[in-house]
Amino acid sequence: MFTVMSTNPAYFLREAGTSFKRNWVMSLGAIITIFLSLLLIGTSMMASKVINSLVTNVESKVSIQIFIKDDAATQDIEVLQRKLVTDSLVKSVNFTTKEQALENFKNTMSQSPEVVENLEGNPLPASLDIELKDARDVQTVVDTIKKSETFAKIADHPEDPEKSLKYGQQIVKKLFAFTRIVRIVGALFVVMLALVSLIFINNTIRLAIYSRRQEIAIMRLVGASNWFIRAPFMLEGIFQALIGAGLAIGGMLTIQFAAIPKLQSTISFMQFNLATSTTLGISGMLIILGCAIGAFGSWLAMRKYLKI
Amino acid sequence: MADINSIEETLDNIIPDVNRQAVPTAPPRSKGAPMILMRNVEKRYVAEKAALEGVNVEVSSGEFVFIVGHSGSGKSTFIRMLLREVLPTKGQIVVAGYDLANMRNSRVPYLRRNIGCVFQDFKLLPNKTAFENVAFALQVIGKSKHVINTQVPEVLGLVGLKDKINSYPNELSGGEQQRVSIARAFVNRPPMLLCDEPTGNLDPQTSLGIMKLLERINKTGTTVVIATHDREMVNNMRRRVIALDGGHVVRDQDRGVYGYVD
Repeated sequence: MFTVMSTNPAYFLREAGTSFKRNWVMSLGAIITIFLSLLLIGTSMMASKVINSLVTNVESKVSIQIFIKDDAATQDIEVLQRKLVTDSLVKSVNFTTKEQALENFKNTMSQSPEVVENLEGNPLPASLDIELKDARDVQTVVDTIKKSETFAKIADHPEDPEKSLKYGQQIVKKLFAFTRIVRIVGALFVVMLALVSLIFINNTIRLAIYSRRQEIAIMRLVGASNWFIRAPFMLEGIFQALIGAGLAIGGMLTIQFAAIPKLQSTISFMQFNLATSTTLGISGMLIILGCAIGAFGSWLAMRKYLKI
Repeated sequence: MADINSIEETLDNIIPDVNRQAVPTAPPRSKGAPMILMRNVEKRYVAEKAALEGVNVEVSSGEFVFIVGHSGSGKSTFIRMLLREVLPTKGQIVVAGYDLANMRNSRVPYLRRNIGCVFQDFKLLPNKTAFENVAFALQVIGKSKHVINTQVPEVLGLVGLKDKINSYPNELSGGEQQRVSIARAFVNRPPMLLCDEPTGNLDPQTSLGIMKLLERINKTGTTVVIATHDREMVNNMRRRVIALDGGHVVRDQDRGVYGYVD
């Protein structure tokens, strides 16, 4: 006989759904904006992860080589090696003999064997190859080596020991400057995109509210609490954001499984691997970010109508 | 040579003052605790001009009061202040036990559950039936389905719309729409009904019916405050009249009349 009424939480869901249907064009706009923004945010997060792994890769290749003169005493070499191994900044120290050095050289030059054939004897020096725990400490370790007397004794160029050291200080500096810029630009990008989505959700909900301002006025008049009035609209905003986030995650996975393998096969010398945990983490972040944007955008849009 | 305009102006300035002094303080009422208490209330939207000034009003629980005055007399501000839509610049207002000046915004909905509101333009939702419009008021303050399904038909019966329960507002006459709106205001049994020009859009015959209905509601112990222009009605009812002019209470009279020449 009477319309069935319910006052349980289903009320909020129903109200949100009704409004969603009523303003579906605007809702669609909000969903697409959220979707594209979150997709870009997710992709840029993914890209920064890839760049990070590339940088780590390059960093691990930054090592210090000490070239040793041919007649250096094995004892001295061992003294220096032991000293370096105990240094807390050093990961490992490997001794490369003259023969190994020649072997390595031959391997790298396998494309042009005539160069190797023309060598008279073995012009390559033996070396100590030092790997660091953190590439940024390279200068400190180099300074320690330079101060060492043993080093001066065994260096390949006794008149100017520094020539016997080879390390990639400059490369490291440039690399860090570059990755810092990439990170800052990425962060700015994410903030801007989040702002755009926020504004769009805000507008959609504003429209939904406008079409129901009469209802809201009456709700306020009869003493509905602000949260009661706000809840359906916030739910609607979160609902839109969730759909957008879902689409964005789908898009991100497509990129990961379709685009990255292709990229990998083109640029084979670099590693683009993303752990599953990273993908899950980014997806989770997108959902949380989406919901936050949806809820906050709606809350912002409601403020004007709930001012007492 | 005295300018006639300036004389008129002077008179305008004097008369309200004279009136104010001539206001007989309302005799003590013994009906109950004050529903509305205003002490030295002042409201200025702009610094230079007071919309209300020096207003001292006490309305006891269970009273039936008319607020009369021209447009711009401060009547609207008076009503909106009781609902705490505007705050006083100065002074104290207590409504249904709530101290409006010192009240948190989040408590305002609970104040409003104590004041049923009726307006000139009914403010009904066009896409809801009479039942749904009344039920909406209970629904949004979190009343159960059971309460809604008992109280709504009961209150619609009280206002005489038992057989129009499933009609939409556009299927109802103006008087019937106002009855729905009164039902909505009263369904929660608030201690006070606040009516802003309830008969403003209705013909005299219908208006009389609405007034009788409000009187009946008043008999249940509900305080009824009506802001109105309807001289006929005020003169017929012979109830307490509070007259506002230029932001001041110029008359507060039991069994009063409209008393203005429009």
